[in-house]
Amino acid sequence: MENTSSDIRQLNEKIHQASAFVDLLNLELSKVIVGQRYMVDRLLIGLLAQGHVLLEGVPGLAKTLSIKSLSSAIDGKFSRIQFTPDLLPADVVGTMIYNQQKNEFVVRRGPIFANFILADEINRAPAKVQSALLEAMQERQITIGDTTFKLDDPFLVLATQNPIEQEGTYTLPEAQVDRFMLKVVIGYPTKEEELHIIRQNLNPQKMEKINPVIKPADILEARKLVREVYMDEKIERYILDIVFATRNPEDYKLQKLKPLISYGGSPRASISLALAAKAHAFMKRRGYVIPEDIRSICFDVMRHRVGLTYEAEAENITSENILSEILNAVEVP
Amino acid sequence: MSKQIIVKSIFLFALLGYVLSPISSLAQQSSVRVVASTDSGSIRIGEQVKLRLSATVEQPGGLTVVFPQVPDSFSHFEVVSRSKPDTAGDNNTKIFSQTIILTSFDSGHWDIPAFRFDVVQNAGGGTDSAFTSTLWVDVNTVSVDTTKAFKPIKSVRSVGWNFWDYWLYFAIGISVVIIGIGLWVYFRSKPKKEVVKPVVPLIAPYDAALQLLQQLRGEKLWQQGDVKQYYTRLTDILRAYFEQQFNIPALEQTSEELLQHIKPVTILNQQRDKLRSLLTVADLAKFAKLHPTPDEHEAAMQQAIEIVEWTKPAVEKAAGSVEAGKEEIKQP
Repeated sequence: MENTSSDIRQLNEKIHQASAFVDLLNLELSKVIVGQRYMVDRLLIGLLAQGHVLLEGVPGLAKTLSIKSLSSAIDGKFSRIQFTPDLLPADVVGTMIYNQQKNEFVVRRGPIFANFILADEINRAPAKVQSALLEAMQERQITIGDTTFKLDDPFLVLATQNPIEQEGTYTLPEAQVDRFMLKVVIGYPTKEEELHIIRQNLNPQKMEKINPVIKPADILEARKLVREVYMDEKIERYILDIVFATRNPEDYKLQKLKPLISYGGSPRASISLALAAKAHAFMKRRGYVIPEDIRSICFDVMRHRVGLTYEAEAENITSENILSEILNAVEVP
Repeated sequence: MSKQIIVKSIFLFALLGYVLSPISSLAQQSSVRVVASTDSGSIRIGEQVKLRLSATVEQPGGLTVVFPQVPDSFSHFEVVSRSKPDTAGDNNTKIFSQTIILTSFDSGHWDIPAFRFDVVQNAGGGTDSAFTSTLWVDVNTVSVDTTKAFKPIKSVRSVGWNFWDYWLYFAIGISVVIIGIGLWVYFRSKPKKEVVKPVVPLIAPYDAALQLLQQLRGEKLWQQGDVKQYYTRLTDILRAYFEQQFNIPALEQTSEELLQHIKPVTILNQQRDKLRSLLTVADLAKFAKLHPTPDEHEAAMQQAIEIVEWTKPAVEKAAGSVEAGKEEIKQP
């Protein structure tokens, strides 16, 4: 059924009220997290759009603290899995163990049974462990022995990759990276922010505790509303233009990009871009998507979905450069 | 010795005399002289020597001289080439000759063996043979002065440029050029169909924007309920105007980005609030199905015209001031 203008007005008001918790969450998180507003926003977008987030950044940028704080603020269960080369799939998803008293095998659930998972340095584990995690992320259920378990909802995986060390790592294949809705590159805090971080850490007594401000059920409700955010056909076509420009740049007068792109965004990229844009609009307390939402989220959704050729790598051209060119060439509706 | 043996011997001699009688008569009638000669008796290894075989026949009528079959290789010599047998002379004397070029790669004193010429009588089939004398040729090695240092092997020598090796390519090239010129002349001289080019009037961005805004107003889109299309066209006209007039890539920018990018253009920045208000209403109409009131539609059009008028280039403004009041933007 098509939305009428009055439907959208009502939806807009509804979302304006329902999205009030975003400010509350941000306020609560700012008690312990200094700066990194961009990362927190992306975490919330992932949470609201039901997508997982791949974080890339050097160690010590409050990745663990952010997701732990977010988990506390939502009153959710948090697990941290440090990926190592000797990790086994059973260490992540769980296994069957023998109970001598009961004389039977019982299921021992793995750390993946939580609302918020921090998969630290995911590229340190071998492919079979990565597959086990990514499959769970996709299916949102786990099978141990004969029993299938649904994972907790909300379920958000935040995986980190260390871009500095490459030795002894197993780079995620393109097909698996595509399963992450967002790939967020985190930068260093500003001088002022870092000064604040130092002062905060030197006085542990002053370190405030995160209190739960919403329940997981609220997130599930918010997710429903996010799906309802109105997206006009013009916006849908704008999304398609961006994704298609990564596949066939010559159709958008970007012939120079053709030799630099080995593969473009998949249909999953279009879906993710649409969903993330809706979540972004929700966070901006709007009931409809505008081109700003698309452009704001585009880099995080697309940067890991545009494959570069050797030629591009040789010329130090990044996927961000290519996306900038595309956004500057595709007409905004 | 008995009388019988003497009779037998006489008989045998008589028979032999009968058999040999045609040859003896041939020899009596014609004389054949065969000669083999070389142009040099001494060559260096690998050098060539000419061997000339000739047969001189007196009274040649009714005789055929068969030249010897010289093999390709014989007695340390190799045949490099051989000429066809040549005939010279008159009715009384005929000289048959052939020249064979030989070479040798073995050093030493080598004999050229005697060659046999067969002389055949055409009538009767009698055959006689004549042999050349044996020749010799010294094949010498190159004298090497071992006291001197070894010299390096000479590199490959290029063959001198010869026009005739490439004449075909030249001919093809010249032909292609001639055909090309011919085609060019042909098509050039062919009468062309006159293409009527549409006359594109050179119209300034300012004039174009105002013209398009008037056209949009005339189409009465919002009056027909197509509000989304009205605002899409309205903002597109403004964006295209900014792009052409101020080189701002407005068509590829969102409303917020556009408002940021007009900051350096002072004249445009002065209309910032008006533009923001217009873009906000337009975005709501385009992306949120908002239906502004008729007053708001008209206000948006008026704002767009005012922005274009305000940013009218100085020259046009000056020209426009002369005709001030003459033209007013028509209201619907």
